[in-house]
Amino acid sequence: MMGDWQVYWLFLQQGIASGLVTGSIYALLAIAIVIIFKTTDAPNFAAGEIFMAGAYIALYLLIFSQIAYVIAVPVTLAITFVFSALFYRIVLRRIGVSPAVAVNVVIATLGLSFVLKGIVRNTGFGDVPRSFPAVFGADTVQIGDAVLTTQDVAVFALALLAMAIFFVFFNYTRTGRAMRAVGMNPRAAALVGIDLHKTRMLIWGLSGLLSALAAILIAPKILMTADMGIVVILGFAAAIVGGFTSLPGAVVGGLIIGIVENLVGLFVSTRAIVVAPFIVIMLVLAIRPQGLFGGPVVIKKV
Amino acid sequence: MRRMKAFALPGLIAGLALSTAAAAFPIKAGQGTYQDPGITDDTIKIGLFAPLSGPARAYGEDPLNAARMWYEMINEMGGIWGRKIELVIEDDRCTANDLVAAVKKLVEQDQVFMLNGGSCSAAAVAAQEYVLRNKVPYVMLNASGDGALYPPTDYIFGGISISQRAVGGIAVDFVVKHFNAKKIGYINHDDAYGAWNLETAEYMAKEHGVSLSVESINPNITDVTAPMLKIRAANPDVLILTTYARPAALILKRAHELGFKGPIVLTVTGTANLKQLVENVGTKDAFANFYVQDVINDSPDGPKQRWIIDMYKKRYPDLAAKPDHPTPYMPYGVASAQTVTHALMLAGPNPTRESVARILRTLTFESGVMAGMISFGENDRAGQESSIFLKFDGETQVLQPGVYTSRWTYKP
Repeated sequence: MMGDWQVYWLFLQQGIASGLVTGSIYALLAIAIVIIFKTTDAPNFAAGEIFMAGAYIALYLLIFSQIAYVIAVPVTLAITFVFSALFYRIVLRRIGVSPAVAVNVVIATLGLSFVLKGIVRNTGFGDVPRSFPAVFGADTVQIGDAVLTTQDVAVFALALLAMAIFFVFFNYTRTGRAMRAVGMNPRAAALVGIDLHKTRMLIWGLSGLLSALAAILIAPKILMTADMGIVVILGFAAAIVGGFTSLPGAVVGGLIIGIVENLVGLFVSTRAIVVAPFIVIMLVLAIRPQGLFGGPVVIKKV
Repeated sequence: MRRMKAFALPGLIAGLALSTAAAAFPIKAGQGTYQDPGITDDTIKIGLFAPLSGPARAYGEDPLNAARMWYEMINEMGGIWGRKIELVIEDDRCTANDLVAAVKKLVEQDQVFMLNGGSCSAAAVAAQEYVLRNKVPYVMLNASGDGALYPPTDYIFGGISISQRAVGGIAVDFVVKHFNAKKIGYINHDDAYGAWNLETAEYMAKEHGVSLSVESINPNITDVTAPMLKIRAANPDVLILTTYARPAALILKRAHELGFKGPIVLTVTGTANLKQLVENVGTKDAFANFYVQDVINDSPDGPKQRWIIDMYKKRYPDLAAKPDHPTPYMPYGVASAQTVTHALMLAGPNPTRESVARILRTLTFESGVMAGMISFGENDRAGQESSIFLKFDGETQVLQPGVYTSRWTYKP
């Protein structure tokens, strides 16, 4: 029988280890949200449903079409990339010529979220919680006193790898730097010859791809339903904690939210798990309104 | 065919006793004028509703099919007091708005005599105010609907499958008697459903003098590490889960990963599709010491359930040929429809909404379907408060001895 301190020590280790795994997924989702916000100036409220649709596309390819994992995953990522890019090209670009752009963009993304959820529900696949086939086994790995599965370790490693690839892409490639330029100052970016619409379209595509990647990684752990996109709320929470315009902030915010969820559940109450991220948001906003990694507060409109 | 008849007889005799008496009764109704809508010399109109579309369709479609086949069978036998039952079917989508809209349409536009429907508690409870204001007898389909059952009202009757308050108490009773458990882990939801079943679980734990370690979780939880780790640290003799199917699968998976070896009992709240549950957990090893609660009178493929399964297959051959059909919740619809037909029969040849509601308030009968009697009382509007338990190893279900009945009663 373990003493109280041993139990608390175990809780701490397990809370941090499991929190890092789920937090890495929130971080991916936060990046998907932040890159759109930086360049479109409006949050993408369809991010959760793109995440959900990505998981169902992969499930359809893997289970119902019996396509191998190595093909199904890239095809899913490609489909979500193209779909999200086309959504920008066909819908948002048109909205961009109308007044009150940000509000209209928000409404358009909300509309997309309802459409995607409706489509999945009407296929019949979304009626019952479904499992997503995991590539890695459920064998357990002991890290200190914490127990993770090989699937957990793989999710964390792959999420970190994806973030590293994006870091390199945004900092060391011409397209990535063009995307950052559009996010920082679109007018100046246009003046130096960057095609704003093409870049934004690529960013939407990348955001969709990231959401689908997060979905494929986390789906074996959380089970799939048409409502699984609710997870993206935690991606928003991570983005807000990180600063909403900061990519490193999104990553740190995601990991903080994941760990806080678990530690609050273990040390306070399991009832408090769902409210914990929002308490963190309130605390961060009260102490540092621009988020942990956000720049100085700028008033754009009076 | 001969075998089917042999099995069909006991159930039919038990279930049909009152209704067939009405059908065969020599007095034919027909006084010409009636004080309530929905009733004529030859017909009586019943509003039947359930989620027939949307994500909760699986909870209601088959119970509604079952209720409909019971009503059709009663009609084939001559109806009740010579009146054929006329059904008006609506889709409530399992949402409060849609269910209330369906109920209003049925009462005001279709002018039904009484209501029979609802598979989702929160949605069914939302109709409470309207139903009571219009004094329409309302028998829920398979919603437990505790929120509208306690405190009792004059017109609303539910818990025909089982009330949530009965679910928790019975589960505790089972684990104490079956496993001699002294320390019980208990994971429920932090919503009204969870609060209802916890109330009786605590009542029964106190009665047995055993301890309960409770972890309440949100139904949308994605990471169950914290609740499962806390349960493991509490080192209970047995773990009771009263969650929905998705969190139940996550907990079973995590319990297995964290090496929890004790028995796990899943209540009827999460057993809609056991095949899918196994698939979602991912390994049958997690079911090595696993039990499920059920509220019917036998294992789903047991002899006492045969008559109703045969009846379903005969009535809906196309549906029965589909995978996972009939669904585990299907029989509940028959018990609910039986409640309606028994009340109509006992109300006599000239029923009023008031007389039917009065009969329902003290109605008791053996359904031949459910684990216990369908029984209402002065302070009790929940019809069924018993259950059985089955050991499930991921493939087969083995009936455990005994029927467990809730001893909790509502104190006004």
